[in-house]
Amino acid sequence: MKGRFFLLLSGLLLLSGAWADAPAKMKIVLEFQPDPLNGRKVFDVCARCHMPEAWGNEDGTYPQLAGQHATVLLRQLMEIRTGQRANALMRPFVQERTLGGYQNLVDVVAYISRLPMDPAYIRGPWSEGTPEYDKGRQIYTAHCAACHGPEGEGNAQGAVPRLQGQHYPYTRRQAIAIKRGQRRADLAMQAVVSQLDEHELELALNYVSQLEVPKTDLAPTPNWRNPDFK
Amino acid sequence: MSDQAGFSRRRFLQASGLLAASAPALAAESVRPEASGKGEGGVPPAFARLLRKADLPAPRGARVVVVGAGWSGLSMAKYLKLQNPDFDVVLVDRQASFTSLPLSNPWLVGEISMDFLCHSFFDAARNHGYLFLQATVLGLDREARRVFTDAGVIGYDYLVLAPGIDYDYERIGVEDPVEQQLLAQRYPGGFVNASELLTIRRKIQQFRGGTFLLTVPDGDYRCSAAPYERACTMAAWFKHNGLPAKILLLDMNNEIKIMKDGFARAFSELYGDYIEYLPSSLISSVDVAGRTVSTEFDDYRFDDAVIYPPIRGARMLEEAGIMNPHSPEKTANTDPFRYHVIGDERVYVTGDSRSQPFSRGGHTANSEARYVAEVIAGHALGREVAWRSPQTMCFSAIDIRPMRAISLITFYRYDEVKKDFAFDRTHAVEQWDEVGGRASVAWAEGLFQDMFYE
Ligand SMILES: Cc1cc2nc3c(=O)[nH]c(=O)nc-3n(C[C@H](O)[C@H](O)[C@H](O)COP(=O)(O)OP(=O)(O)OC[C@H]3O[C@@H](n4cnc5c(N)ncnc54)[C@H](O)[C@@H]3O)c2cc1C
Ligand code: HEC
Ligand code: HEC
Repeated sequence: MKGRFFLLLSGLLLLSGAWADAPAKMKIVLEFQPDPLNGRKVFDVCARCHMPEAWGNEDGTYPQLAGQHATVLLRQLMEIRTGQRANALMRPFVQERTLGGYQNLVDVVAYISRLPMDPAYIRGPWSEGTPEYDKGRQIYTAHCAACHGPEGEGNAQGAVPRLQGQHYPYTRRQAIAIKRGQRRADLAMQAVVSQLDEHELELALNYVSQLEVPKTDLAPTPNWRNPDFK
Repeated sequence: MSDQAGFSRRRFLQASGLLAASAPALAAESVRPEASGKGEGGVPPAFARLLRKADLPAPRGARVVVVGAGWSGLSMAKYLKLQNPDFDVVLVDRQASFTSLPLSNPWLVGEISMDFLCHSFFDAARNHGYLFLQATVLGLDREARRVFTDAGVIGYDYLVLAPGIDYDYERIGVEDPVEQQLLAQRYPGGFVNASELLTIRRKIQQFRGGTFLLTVPDGDYRCSAAPYERACTMAAWFKHNGLPAKILLLDMNNEIKIMKDGFARAFSELYGDYIEYLPSSLISSVDVAGRTVSTEFDDYRFDDAVIYPPIRGARMLEEAGIMNPHSPEKTANTDPFRYHVIGDERVYVTGDSRSQPFSRGGHTANSEARYVAEVIAGHALGREVAWRSPQTMCFSAIDIRPMRAISLITFYRYDEVKKDFAFDRTHAVEQWDEVGGRASVAWAEGLFQDMFYE
């Protein structure tokens, strides 16, 4: 991981004394060099729920985290930490008192993003050649590809999640939660999903779930176990 | 069970059964007290209260009554409302407030505070948009879809029974109900309610030395790890306080049931001088006055004890006539995938009184509820919901000051050949550390947050 991470903290800093009536908007930029080795240590507590491979499960109660862009993971963790994103069970685990400071956050996402992905990720019900698949491709291309990429690869820089390789029951549940306003998300993304009905979302996500993940990103077999956990 | 007036619960249930036959449309109507007043049928006035409608606002949608506000009932009520905001959900519990059993072992030895374990049903109900009613459920009339409680009758469209467990003292040879009461109060197991916990804490604090006996029941008892955890935390307390105490851990199983490596190592590495572990100790009788527990081969005298007997599905299920007589833990006769009573898709059984062999835990109950709530909401709309596995997570404190813990997560799958559920992937962390200690607190905090506050 050669990238660096920037954390932007902007807000109003209230100053006292003579400047009390002229609060200025301030921006703090912090920069971290990720250390995946420390990330492995931090990940220990995550693995107690996400399992050592971070592959998620087939019914979509847990997402596949392995192979996700580090920037996406970081953004999600920050949103879970602050409560912007509802996740009552996980929130206490990503507080400073449990997880540590920003360096640990950066390290753990760097570690997770480099884990090989579950090759047996769950695909939607309509395979290539069915009318539903074709309809899904049209919807995906027209409404989603601009941000999530033509292959569902996401966008590391823009912190747009990689959908390719994510379990279909998970993306389906999340997209519907965003549509129903049960999960807050990027405003543009929210606007797009609100234009489509739930079945159209299913079709689009079915399509992206059928796309192939580059072999180099996948674990060799579904029986692969994370050697870091001996 | 008989009270002073000579009225047995059975007779009351019969009375309410009779009532069911004579007034089938009662669900929405109250029974006029005078109709069941004294003289007629011999029901004393005090009982009139039992037969009138409970003081609840008229339902504003399909009414779902959830019995038991433990980990399962609280999660059910919340997720039912989330799945279908039009459901009118009423959560009923005989207790006034919630005390967590998970994390109670660290509390017994001063690692966390009671505040952390206690929560208000009112907060849970307000934050999640349902009603809470403090009442004891006495019986069901499934024909007319009514629940009888000591606060009156409640009609339902769907009923979820999550009453947890009762102790099954008969399985350790204590059959006389009076003896059972005595044993339950003198040497409480600490796996059902807060009074037990308070008594056990006092016992530990006042113990000055000698033999402290603990038991691990056989069968699918509540929380496989917790009896071993309790042995460790108590041993840690004795060790840190330099007490000449010996914990005699009588295990009715032939080996440690869960996280065997971790617990076995803790017993030998940390507590070799404090814990004597005796597997395959099938308890056949308990002499309360003589402070002796007996197995087929030996008698064990103790100075003090916490006796956790085998468990069974709450007696309520048996009294309601929905128990499966062949189930060793006397659980309800329900569909293993959809959780409803066989032949009655209006009544569901969840949590530790479920019939499936999932490990009996609060986390299991919470994850299960997310699915069962969807099943019930789906039933109302005629929609099928695919089965998904609950997950069991358990944390066990091994040492204190600071708290160091081990943990386990497991999922289940259905084995088509054996026609039963089996463990699927499991991840255990059996080396105790402070990360685990902090994680156990974070885990409970997250679940409390989920069940009570958001
Ligand atoms: C020491 C200890 C440690 C544990 N550790 C863990 C752990 O680490 N992880 C984990 O997941 N689980 C753990 N557990 C297990 C967990 O506590 C239980 O599995 C959980 O409480 C089951 O939830 P439930 O809702 O089925 O039953 P309960 O929580 O027992 O709730 C049942 C409720 O029903 C009410 N009720 C019963 N009958 C009636 C009636 N007739 N009328 C009205 N109300 C009624 C009761 O008052 C009670 O509130 C532990 C338990 C103990 C004792
Ligand atoms: C108590 C169990 C638990 C622990 C511990 C836990 N998580 Fe999670 N996490 C979950 C669950 C459950 C979800 C899915 C939530 C949902 O469906 O909305 C999740 C979701 C996530 C997501 C969001 C994924 C997405 O696609 O939106 C990220 C990122 C994540 N976890 C990372 C972590 C990291 C890193 C750690 C360790 C610091 C961790 N988790 C610890 C239970 C846990
Ligand atoms: C304007 C850019 C944009 C468009 C267009 C867009 N998305 Fe997104 N999407 C995002 C961003 C950014 C996120 C991350 C949001 C967050 O975590 O708050 C996201 C998140 C998601 C998630 C949750 C992923 C996860 O791991 O938690 C799903 C599923 C999803 N999008 C599906 C879709 C689908 C289907 C479409 C087309 C119908 C679509 N998106 C269109 C930007 C977009």
